[in-house]
Amino acid sequence: MMQERLVALQSQVKEDLAKAETLNEIEDIRVRYLGRKGAIKDIMKAIPGLPPEEKSIMGKMANKLKLDITGEIEAAEKRFSASLPPSSDKQGLKSNAQETKGTFDLSLPGKRRPYGHIHPITQTINEIKSIFSKLGFSVEYGPEVEQEYYNFDALNVPQDHPSREDFDTFYLDNKLLLRSQTSTVQIRTMKKRKPPIRMIAPGKVYRPDTVDARHASMFHQIEGLMVEEGVSFRDLKFALTSFSKIYFGEDIKMRFRPSFFPFTEPSAEVDISCSICSARGCSVCSHSGWVEVLGAGMVDPNVFEAVGYDPEKYTGFAFGLGVERLTMLRYGIDDIRLFFENDLRFLSQF
Amino acid sequence: MKISYHWLKDYCNHTLSVDELSEGLTNAGLVVDTSAPVGDDFCLDVEVTSNRPDCLGIMGIAREVAVLVRGKLLIPDVGYPAIAENIESETSVENEEKELCSRYTARIIKGVTIGPSPEWLQKRLQVLGLRPVNNVVDITNYVLMESGQPLHAFDLDKLEGKRIVIRQASHGETLEAIDGTKCTFTSDVLIIADSKKPVAIAGIMGGKGTEVTETTKNIFLESAFFEPRNVRRSSRILGIKSDSSFRFERHVDPECVDWASRRAAKMILEIAGGQILEGVIDLNCIRRKKTPVTLRTAKLNRLLGIHLEKSEQREILERLCFTIISEKEDSLEVSVPSFRSDVYREIDLIEEIARIHGFEGIPATSSIGVKLNPDNKLDRVVERVKGVLSGMGYDEVVTDSIVDNMQDRHTGLWSDSRSIRIINPIRHDEDLLRKSIIPNLLKVKKHNQNHGTEITRMYELSKIYLRKDNGELPDEKECLCILGEEGYFPLKGMIETILHRLNINHVLDSLPVQSDLFNPEKSAQLKLGEKIFGYIGELNREIIHHYDFRSTPCITELDFELLVNMATLENSYHKAPSFPTIARDLAVIADEVITWAEIKGCILSLKMDYLEGIEFFDMYRGKQIGPGKKSIAFRLIFRADNRTLRNEEVDVCQEKLLKTLENSLNLRLRS
Repeated sequence: MMQERLVALQSQVKEDLAKAETLNEIEDIRVRYLGRKGAIKDIMKAIPGLPPEEKSIMGKMANKLKLDITGEIEAAEKRFSASLPPSSDKQGLKSNAQETKGTFDLSLPGKRRPYGHIHPITQTINEIKSIFSKLGFSVEYGPEVEQEYYNFDALNVPQDHPSREDFDTFYLDNKLLLRSQTSTVQIRTMKKRKPPIRMIAPGKVYRPDTVDARHASMFHQIEGLMVEEGVSFRDLKFALTSFSKIYFGEDIKMRFRPSFFPFTEPSAEVDISCSICSARGCSVCSHSGWVEVLGAGMVDPNVFEAVGYDPEKYTGFAFGLGVERLTMLRYGIDDIRLFFENDLRFLSQF
Repeated sequence: MKISYHWLKDYCNHTLSVDELSEGLTNAGLVVDTSAPVGDDFCLDVEVTSNRPDCLGIMGIAREVAVLVRGKLLIPDVGYPAIAENIESETSVENEEKELCSRYTARIIKGVTIGPSPEWLQKRLQVLGLRPVNNVVDITNYVLMESGQPLHAFDLDKLEGKRIVIRQASHGETLEAIDGTKCTFTSDVLIIADSKKPVAIAGIMGGKGTEVTETTKNIFLESAFFEPRNVRRSSRILGIKSDSSFRFERHVDPECVDWASRRAAKMILEIAGGQILEGVIDLNCIRRKKTPVTLRTAKLNRLLGIHLEKSEQREILERLCFTIISEKEDSLEVSVPSFRSDVYREIDLIEEIARIHGFEGIPATSSIGVKLNPDNKLDRVVERVKGVLSGMGYDEVVTDSIVDNMQDRHTGLWSDSRSIRIINPIRHDEDLLRKSIIPNLLKVKKHNQNHGTEITRMYELSKIYLRKDNGELPDEKECLCILGEEGYFPLKGMIETILHRLNINHVLDSLPVQSDLFNPEKSAQLKLGEKIFGYIGELNREIIHHYDFRSTPCITELDFELLVNMATLENSYHKAPSFPTIARDLAVIADEVITWAEIKGCILSLKMDYLEGIEFFDMYRGKQIGPGKKSIAFRLIFRADNRTLRNEEVDVCQEKLLKTLENSLNLRLRS
């Protein structure tokens, strides 16, 4: 008896589908047969009450029927959507209008999908990487836990230089230290490769500064290095001027001042005209109209000696810039701690 | 270093305004931080880099100004009349430490009248922020600020034995310094002593007991060269800094030692009266004779990228008070004055010329040419992975590598070794390098919850630091740590999406893991192929309680380097199949112990023809199924490459498959 019901059901479905004229009608058929209160469900519910020998046969049959019906409905749907070009879906249009009856409020807000934000520090690093890659600089990485040799000795920092003292460098319990500058990667790269070299090295550096709006004990630097025969201070100015104009804009003014770093000579500090006050003077630029953005210079011959390059043959320039500082200037952020607090209301602005 | 605008003019005639002066000095490498009016004068705060101790006196800065304005440096006359009585008859100096004190001079001025300094002198000191004391002390400070050479005046009559001994302190000797600090010396501090006791800490500060007061009549005037490193060390050990130690640490000009002494003696005579004894005690063991430096004209031009004639180079050096010993066609042999301790190589001369010529005068054009570099794989993988995470709505965070000991209270995921500790942390309770990013993300979540953001989806891609033995560099492991709010399977799905995006086809295994960070039921160690890939789990109830979280975060930490190694960034193309699939949805009833991985593995082991995919879609438990059982529903997708499959063919496959599942895993088709 049940078997007959199943056969009948199957032909009924076929009949109904043949009559259907719109996708909505097909949907109605689906609900009628496959829905929670549909015909198939009824049959399934009856199976447990059957005699044991029938139970398994009917179970299998009912399952097969369910799959067949599903298949036929899907096939019918496919036929419909394929035969109706979306723009001339007259059947669909008519039924949509019936469905909504003028109650569709077009002005309700759209449904947004969440989109994640890349941390502003990463964004700045990516931007700088991209600018320097156009000048042929590759990206190198190096360890943050370092030996004194790479952080100081090879960089021509004298044994008694104040930067080696423990209020300027973090020392670790395994006789190593946390690098206080990304210049370490210069040395590692030069020891590994022969010139020509053009590289930048972004990364974290650490200094035992008391944390306040302008200081963090961990921050990010990007080191740059170019070594070839015949590289001059002029090339240094070209590279850094090109970079600054792309990053800060064509109108930016630049100033190269003589300075001192143990690993470069001549050394320069590079200022740009203050973007916050348009060089009129504000607290960010200490009312000078200039803000220091990077340190640079020609690689000191002693550094070349340390890595086994001939300083008579090769010359080069190096520079270092502070990522947080650049990002703060770019966006007018006044507190470095915001970067590491990670308030999503802050991060989602970038 | 603070300087007075008017005082500076004593040594160099110039017509620069305060602003012009500031700009000129800044462009020459002496940054003027601030300039502020003080009375009718201006105080300029000049930042002197550590290589330029010669500019730690106003005359040194005047020398730079003279170079800039092409003017002349005016050096005060230090000639004075002395009386017949010789200094040797009145005092003596013994130097036991010639390495640490390579020059020591003494002059004696008798019969002085101590009183306030004249107004002009007081005013000048006040512009620099110094407090006038009395005429003799003010004069030593004046000459210090003028020349950069520290001086000290002792009350001769308070020196026991009226003599000076330069020696190491004996262990336990004490001295009360002028500023009131009571020092107890260890044996390695250099002191100035009289015949019995310490009277000054060499190069740092004098003692209270021998200082010049209103009753002082006779002055012992000290001017010396103390070894920089030793002064720095002692200053740190004792915790005393002074204008003197600041300059000695940075190397004073050994040839200025006597000049400053004469200058001060002469001023004392003029202002405080008295008589200067004939002669000077000058224990000078400085043998360092500076060797001349050769400068090649072409080398300079090549390095700077400019064209400066040899004559122009020569002219700049001469303006800087360097002496040209000889000149060849393509080079200069240069003698460097004693006050420029920083100049001893060709490159140092090049820097001097570049500095005075001006960096502005070097063009910013170049022909460095093209160099192409392939992007490195790490950066490309990072970009892809972050793209996936952004697209799924996850924010990137950056947290500190230095953490508190929270991480040591939990099972180490990656390593059981001790955390690496910082010896000199800023905060003593934050002195460890992180061994996992997880505690940091929990803190960020907490911060955000406290500030009203309940749902936080975020990740950090950064390093953790795992100790290695024997002073080797630690394993700096690049980890991807993701915190989600939707539970275990959505987070695991995200990992699968990332693997898919990187074309990594290795099987992702999830094995039970023991960690008190996680809910023991809902956590796993993940493996890719045979390699440990990471950890995933919903947070343990205690941790949720500890942070007072109102949701149940699920967190994962993955070995990013493994991802980079396994990733394939260049996809290969497969033609889209042209024949349709046949899908079969099956539900099987299994014992609770049977895992999906076993079921899937069992099906795959049949290596069935036409089977293209197996997709899990539902798991169900309920009374229809009975206790200890679960129903697992999945879809099998069949397809042939070259024709449309027939239902009957798939039926055969399905039967075979169900039989195998029944025999090996005791699964029944749910009916």
